[in-house]
Amino acid sequence: MAGGAQSQEPAVGSPAPKQKGKATIDTLKIGCLAMVMKDGRTRRAEVLSIKETKSGRQFYCNFDNFNKRLDEWVPAARIDFEQEVEWPNPELPKEAKKAAAPVAKKTTVPKKSQKRPAATREASIMSAEGETPKWSDSMESQKATPDAEGEDKVALKLELERDAATPNEEDDDAMDVDEAAIKAIKAKKEAPDPPQSRAEEIEKLRVGGSMTQNQADISRIRNISKVQFGNYTLYPWYFSPYPESFTQEDLMYICEFCLCYYGDLKAFTRHRHKCAMQHPPGNEIYRDDYVSFFEIDGRRQRTWCRNLCLLSRMFLDHKSTYHDVDPFLFYVMTTRDEKGCHLVGYFSKEKESADGFNVACILTLPQFQRKGYGRLLIQFSYELSKIEGKLGSPEKPLSDLGLLSYRQYWTENLIEILLDFNEREDKVSTEALAALLAMTPGDVESTLQALQMQIYHKGEHKIVLPMHLIKRHEMLKEKQKTKPKRVIDPARIQWKPPTFTAAQRTWGW
Amino acid sequence: MPPRHVRQRKLTKATLQQVLREDQIESAEYDSNQNHQHVETGVERHEENEYHLQAALASTGGGKDSEEIPAPPAEKTVDIDYDALYSLRFKKPATYIRVSYTVEEVTGCQYDMDSEDDTWLQAYNQGKSASQKLSEDDFEKIIEVFEDTTENHTPFAAVDNTLIPFETMSAQIKLRLPSKLLDIAEHVYGHWKDRKQASGNKSIQPGLKFEINKDDDDADPYVCFRRREVRQTRKTRARDVQSVDKLKKLRKELEEARQLVALTHSREVQKQAMMLNEKTIFDQRYKVKVAKTKLGIKGDDEDFINQKVRCSTTRIEIIADLKQPQKRKSEFPQPQRTAPGTQLRLPGRSDGRPLEADLIQLSERIAEKENMLQKEIEEKTQQHRRWNQGHVDLTRDPLSPANGHGPETGFRPATAQYQYLMTPPSSVTSESFDHPSPAQEKSESFAFRYSSPPEEEPRGQPAYRRRIGRGGRLWIDRRGMSSAIKNDENMSDRWKYDQDDEEEQPVYEMDPHDTNALRFRATIPFPPHFYPQHGRQDNRPRAPGPNPANSRAIAPVQNPAAPP
Repeated sequence: MAGGAQSQEPAVGSPAPKQKGKATIDTLKIGCLAMVMKDGRTRRAEVLSIKETKSGRQFYCNFDNFNKRLDEWVPAARIDFEQEVEWPNPELPKEAKKAAAPVAKKTTVPKKSQKRPAATREASIMSAEGETPKWSDSMESQKATPDAEGEDKVALKLELERDAATPNEEDDDAMDVDEAAIKAIKAKKEAPDPPQSRAEEIEKLRVGGSMTQNQADISRIRNISKVQFGNYTLYPWYFSPYPESFTQEDLMYICEFCLCYYGDLKAFTRHRHKCAMQHPPGNEIYRDDYVSFFEIDGRRQRTWCRNLCLLSRMFLDHKSTYHDVDPFLFYVMTTRDEKGCHLVGYFSKEKESADGFNVACILTLPQFQRKGYGRLLIQFSYELSKIEGKLGSPEKPLSDLGLLSYRQYWTENLIEILLDFNEREDKVSTEALAALLAMTPGDVESTLQALQMQIYHKGEHKIVLPMHLIKRHEMLKEKQKTKPKRVIDPARIQWKPPTFTAAQRTWGW
Repeated sequence: MPPRHVRQRKLTKATLQQVLREDQIESAEYDSNQNHQHVETGVERHEENEYHLQAALASTGGGKDSEEIPAPPAEKTVDIDYDALYSLRFKKPATYIRVSYTVEEVTGCQYDMDSEDDTWLQAYNQGKSASQKLSEDDFEKIIEVFEDTTENHTPFAAVDNTLIPFETMSAQIKLRLPSKLLDIAEHVYGHWKDRKQASGNKSIQPGLKFEINKDDDDADPYVCFRRREVRQTRKTRARDVQSVDKLKKLRKELEEARQLVALTHSREVQKQAMMLNEKTIFDQRYKVKVAKTKLGIKGDDEDFINQKVRCSTTRIEIIADLKQPQKRKSEFPQPQRTAPGTQLRLPGRSDGRPLEADLIQLSERIAEKENMLQKEIEEKTQQHRRWNQGHVDLTRDPLSPANGHGPETGFRPATAQYQYLMTPPSSVTSESFDHPSPAQEKSESFAFRYSSPPEEEPRGQPAYRRRIGRGGRLWIDRRGMSSAIKNDENMSDRWKYDQDDEEEQPVYEMDPHDTNALRFRATIPFPPHFYPQHGRQDNRPRAPGPNPANSRAIAPVQNPAAPP
């Protein structure tokens, strides 16, 4: 099964051979994989949550190979009950997985929905090949984990777990994290017996109530449906830990300037009546006739920065709100009008990055996306790196949109420089390219590779500029003659790299 | 990576690579030599394969119109009154904005009433007169006090379910809000209590979930912004002491700040009382006046004017005395109450008190300070001399003579022979010649007292002093030789006709009895053939006017001289 039809469209569901069978509205439960209509065709989707509405039962579905931001509540009518449904098999995840491992060739991410809820980004990283994950991979994936402490704990828990479970499943769980591990242990305690019969399951579902679900699963489900922000209505993409009571609100209000959040219109109106903020509460470090940049210290503006993080969490899946904002600086881009400086986007940056990252999180708010603001943000981050005299790179993992934006920025700049070298018939090294753009050599190399520009020819490595990129570059240049591209003017940056004393660097309170 | 026939040379970061266009290389070769390896994207593995991302990546590589990743859209809101909600207008400052205020500081009252409060408030205000009504602002202020007090007094209220009684609250209200709200606060307390209990004794306003160190905190996605582990520093006695000291200092400073605030508060309260008293007095007077007019009583209205209270400190009296002796004449000898007329006529005295009387003049203050300073300096020099008494420098060729620091070695005026009376020598050796010391200014005033002929340039009074420099060389310092400099134009004149012939002496016409000339002659110590400007020892640019002090060192051997 895993190697068959589904190998082209993997991602959702475990590679294990699953119990299949027809389902009805009533029996369909959380964790099931069903075929659901999406954009005119049926797609495989995992049911993550179920709710009752006036118009009937609705299912929160995550579609195979679709980003979570496209998850949605689906009425029963869109689910194809003609086709068989794969049932989750929570009770014997280990055995099942072991059996499946050699078979599952191209399947990614076995989401053992109950056992391993993939609540955090770490939890869901598994080797794509289905073979034993290399330790380097897992290390890399764990680099993104905010605290090293947590990892130790995980390792410890895994040890315990391993002892308790079958001894010969060596590497499978190496990358599991906290929640998953805890849940696994809990699951074991609670349900030690082998698979229940379907009837039993349904019974359990009825009695226990299908709405109660694994806590960690909550963060897989969008909790805020609609946000009123400034003059815009936003539809959040991901879960964000706003006060739990807001989940019940149809509409959440966010003050455009101080980013405070309200579930109640009266409270929001009262707040607006009193709020005197008109621009981000920090120092302006860049201004041109189009945008301004403000630098804000997470330690000094804790409330504002927390609010910003909550807001951006709705649009950044990988953003961690686990820890406080103290060790970050926030560079906020705004546009001006007669009402004030409106938040357009921002990027955060560690005050001291051990890995040399110059951007931690980066976001353009949805209402300003696809307007070239992302490029300005990225350019600004590199301009700051230039002032610091460092080479910078964004923190990984990148989101899909992040990757595209960065690729575009890197490509445009590299092409421009390489064309210049080509004209002068000069040779260049990746190091030199990196220094010119304040990029890391690794980023330069991966961009060149992705654009298929590196060849080995007559015993020499060479960089080849593909014609279609040259043409596109010329087209862009042509277009810019009539409509100049917005760029950051480095001369307008009034900024010195901030320095922090030892006392300021201890993040604890 | 597929196996290659040719072993490639390693590509390093520093490898210089040729840059070619695709059309500069054979296409077949280009295709065959391309590396088709997996590129690190930095996106998570399981997301890398996402349908829309792959489509978009493929499209950028292929040069077609780039495919976009679909995302839930954002819309312009139509059903809100944006201008009403965001009513403030923003004025862009000319310079880059620099602020450090926090959200809490610019959002006013931290409690925002919601619709539930609104319902209650409207019910409460129902049928009350406008003055009795509780405004939304006041309502919020009261609740804010309740919430703050709860948080401060019972931080674990949500756990142990304690509710602060109104008595405690009312004390806080008294402290923080105008007293008229106290009665209303009791009503609000009931409403607040209801809401508090409904919310499980947590904060009424929905707030974020922070860690409370329960075991399930870690798994709860709603718990956010956890503290970071503090890197444990080694605990030493010194660090403990340091911390204790810091705490003590902090405590002391806070205490001081508190006292300051308390004092300020009491001062303002007294001020208020005073103003109220004044107002009552005014009212009473008004009544008296009305009564007087009614009853036709004529008499002086002096009672209606605030009389000058006699200053208790004589110093202020004296200042007033010095400033306006003639005014004082009119005021002082007479009994205070009988001189309202004169007081009234003086401009700028609305209450009849001379303004200057209770003001300490700035100049007085400055003079006083100067005197103090002067005295201190003198004392210090005396002391210094006492220390150095009997000090003999036995080293060979002492750098500085031990004696010769007393005031007697200071500058002495060179005018003595030419003027009738001698000005007493200044008492202090001025260390810096650039600035006249206060002592010199003192001597001016003495000169004035002795009614010696007025000098056009009192500071330019020639003075000299003798001192022994390094290696026992004798120096004579002069200052106040301004008359010489006055001849600047003449000198430049002289240059014009200057010839190599040095014998020829220029002749200038001047009145031999002119004081300036006399004075000048007295200062000629040497024949004039050493010429001035170049040979001068101090290269300080010289102002054309009277220089307060200029000094020249004269070595016994070479004689740099003043201009003729």
